[in-house]
Amino acid sequence: MKRKYVKLSLIAVVIASVLSGLAACETTTPDASTLLAQARSAITQAEADPNVAKYAPTELDRARKLLINAEDSARQKDGHETASHYAYLTMQMARIAQQRAQEQVAIKHIKSGETERQKILLTARESEADQAAAGLENLKASQTSRGIVLTLDDVSFDKGKAQLKPGAGRSIDQITAFLNENPERRVQVEAFTDSQGANDFNIELSQSRADAVAMAIIRSGINAERVRAVGYGEGFKDGSRQMDRRLEVIVSNGDAAIPGHTAGAL
Amino acid sequence: MITVNGIRNAFWCAIAFGIVACASTPVPVEKLAIAKGSIERAEQAQAAQFAQIELNSARNKYAAAQAAADRRDAQVAARLADQADVDAQLAESTSRAKQQEQLVTEMDASLRDLRNDALRRDGTAQPVPQQP
Repeated sequence: MKRKYVKLSLIAVVIASVLSGLAACETTTPDASTLLAQARSAITQAEADPNVAKYAPTELDRARKLLINAEDSARQKDGHETASHYAYLTMQMARIAQQRAQEQVAIKHIKSGETERQKILLTARESEADQAAAGLENLKASQTSRGIVLTLDDVSFDKGKAQLKPGAGRSIDQITAFLNENPERRVQVEAFTDSQGANDFNIELSQSRADAVAMAIIRSGINAERVRAVGYGEGFKDGSRQMDRRLEVIVSNGDAAIPGHTAGAL
Repeated sequence: MITVNGIRNAFWCAIAFGIVACASTPVPVEKLAIAKGSIERAEQAQAAQFAQIELNSARNKYAAAQAAADRRDAQVAARLADQADVDAQLAESTSRAKQQEQLVTEMDASLRDLRNDALRRDGTAQPVPQQP
């Protein structure tokens, strides 16, 4: 390495003295062939990396064309200086191609890493939800895209009434306890009626019933901002008349907002 | 790298010195402008931090090209401008690549942490309803 340096320095000194001595426009530069060899190997190196051809074909092409220029100049009389110049440009362009390819490879890596990160986070959130649902094991719970859906079987109302009957307390207590343990989560109480009676009346009735359950939850100490109530009337049928008339509580995934109920989106 | 650059600089200086007499073609204004634009792009890509050697080489050659242009030495000015341009492009691409690679390292580290967290959670996975 050191010997090479000395040798190159000597060459430089020779060139310098020759050039200033002659003060001529075109002079031969002895290291043109060295530079040409370096330029060729720079291109070979870039070509050896498949990512260069994939991500920086334009730059690689430019480098190849510059090498052709350099070789053409080298063949011409008095063209050595031009050849050195083009050889240098070739080398740099080959390096540019490699750097651009490296950047693209890194960007791709980051993108797939981001996907991977989302996947891990999602899995973590799901297992968290599973654990949370385990705290509600006495209630009929199922994980859906909207959140955890709890069906309250023991909450019942008299026909056409929105008055909570005694005995509903147990599942409401459980929901309240769950909300106290998971302060970031929210709930939405959703009530449905069967198809008996007028639609307007059913919507109003289901809203009142959802409100009654929501109020019971709020009265037991949960901030009203975390509890919403929606009456869907006889929408979104389940099948049997018994199941059409039902109360569900949707628990949010973490602190995410609870999306609205749409048919078939359970 | 530096030594080769140094020699090259010496080389071009020598040529610049030697060929003062033979300026005949017009000064390459366009090439100078292109080189300047590439240097600015490299600077915007934080090459001063991530590809200092390449950026300095580009700046030095650009200054030399301008000096040659001032002397009406068109050929030397044109070549130096071209070299300043590729040096600046290399500075920019090197800087960008390095920054992306830094992001890759950070991403890999955060993924490792996340996976470890997940493993730890699965290891102690049990319904703990009393946990706050």
